[in-house]
Amino acid sequence: MLGWSEDAGDLGRKVTDYLNLKLNGQEFAEVDPEDFFPMGGVAIKGNIARFPESKFYTCPEHKLAILRTDSPLAEWYKFLNSVLDVAERHCRVRELYVLGAMISFGAHTAPRQLIAVVNSTEMKEVLTQYDLNRDMDYQTQPGERPTLNSFLLWLARKRNIPGVSVWVPIPFYLAAMEDPQAQRKVLSFLSERLGLRIDFSDLDQEIGKQNEQLAVARSRFPQIDDYINRLESNLVLSQEENGELAKRIEEFLGEGD
Amino acid sequence: MGIRLHQEPQLETPILIASWPGIGNIGIIAVDTLRGILEAEEFGEIEPWEFFYPKRVLIRKGVLEYLEFPSSKFYFKRLGGKEIIFFIGEEQPTEGGRMYAEGKKAYRMADLVLDVAEKFKCHRVYTSGAAVALIHHTAKPRVWAVPNSRGLVAEIRRYGNTVLMSDIEGRGGHGNITGLNGLLLGVAKKRGFEAICLMGEIPVYLQGLPLSYPKASKSVLEVLSHSLGVEVDLDTLDELDQKVQQRIEEFYQQIPLEIRGQLDRLKHVAYTQPAEPGPITEEEEKKIVEDVEKFFKKRGEGG
Repeated sequence: MLGWSEDAGDLGRKVTDYLNLKLNGQEFAEVDPEDFFPMGGVAIKGNIARFPESKFYTCPEHKLAILRTDSPLAEWYKFLNSVLDVAERHCRVRELYVLGAMISFGAHTAPRQLIAVVNSTEMKEVLTQYDLNRDMDYQTQPGERPTLNSFLLWLARKRNIPGVSVWVPIPFYLAAMEDPQAQRKVLSFLSERLGLRIDFSDLDQEIGKQNEQLAVARSRFPQIDDYINRLESNLVLSQEENGELAKRIEEFLGEGD
Repeated sequence: MGIRLHQEPQLETPILIASWPGIGNIGIIAVDTLRGILEAEEFGEIEPWEFFYPKRVLIRKGVLEYLEFPSSKFYFKRLGGKEIIFFIGEEQPTEGGRMYAEGKKAYRMADLVLDVAEKFKCHRVYTSGAAVALIHHTAKPRVWAVPNSRGLVAEIRRYGNTVLMSDIEGRGGHGNITGLNGLLLGVAKKRGFEAICLMGEIPVYLQGLPLSYPKASKSVLEVLSHSLGVEVDLDTLDELDQKVQQRIEEFYQQIPLEIRGQLDRLKHVAYTQPAEPGPITEEEEKKIVEDVEKFFKKRGEGG
């Protein structure tokens, strides 16, 4: 299972950390960053210097290997093949799960429907019993490029590794923060699919807490409430309104940290 | 990573014409137009995965159907006693967000292209690109020609509308050709191929625009077809040029009057016969370039 460290809503990092914590994941390998990231200095995030990381963890009792990684900025083919080499040769993986967060222009109160993109019809069949949208049609739009998830799934197919990219929508105004509801949705699917039997009560509390905070923000600031009401009515906000809502929510939730 | 040949045409001593996208896509439009006119047949490609990030994905009913990469294809054409191999690279293999290829990947790509040239015993390599020049967009662009050996200079001097670097005002025979259209020339020299890069002039104030410049492609193609002894109908390039010229005019009218006044003076620059009201001085040239750079910088800052 692969999660990207810098996903919207911090999805990849939070989900992989959560699984490692709950399943006692042990680090066993990493990808040397030299070829894949510019080594011209360090980035600073939240006052802390960061360095690109691509770490593998194993949870042997659950037959699960986890990779939490930054997105490579060069030599993508080599990077993804390195990941698949570890997956195939060291872990002998049977299936590949790749997480992805997609920005949604809906409200946080709307149900989160997971979307699955698979690299084989057999894998699609396997997923029929789960609550996933498995029928998405998509092609790259002008000016865009495919995601690393698609690249990885394509390479996995060349090695006959069945794979699925699991996408969860993140409301745009939570994209720069954490979205426990999105984490819960993905984790519930993984738990069910992989038979992990995880107790999610702590995460449910987090969801409740964030929902309460958002409710307070709505009651305290009529403008925020108006924007979210409109999103709940499936109306589209202007670009400026989107920006303002995201900024004010970020400021408000940030105060509670 | 390597070359995949779908067929191996029997060729005696072909020439290779190669191009990648660059400023104004001048070279690639010229080469690809010639390939189209001559109906050259595809016979191979360079495997793309290690060079490029994918450009398109198709997902149908939740299943990833295919992932498409920028292509790097070889074509061939027999034409009377002449044989031509074309190489068209859809993108330059860039690294780290740069616009042009450089470093290991670029060198590797150039080597692979020349591996095919060697396999089919090519005796000459042409590449093509853009030359940023102090000209007006209403003027006919010249072609700057750079050979990779002294022995080709005399031949180039016989080409029409073509100049060597030593003929360019203020250049003293020196310069750079950025990216693979230039690098191939150097790698060809290293591997013992004679090669010429033909660069069509593009006005300095258009180099940063996301527009092709078919007028210069036409100049390149005129020289190239003459050099090859091939007659080609360039109507398609004229049609394309007319459409682009309209957009250029629209852009030109947005340039502040003061700068446009300077640029208008470029209309009077003539290279072979100085025209009234007289050539632009070096100082005036410098001022025009500075003003244009300031304008683009301001435009960029304004989003």
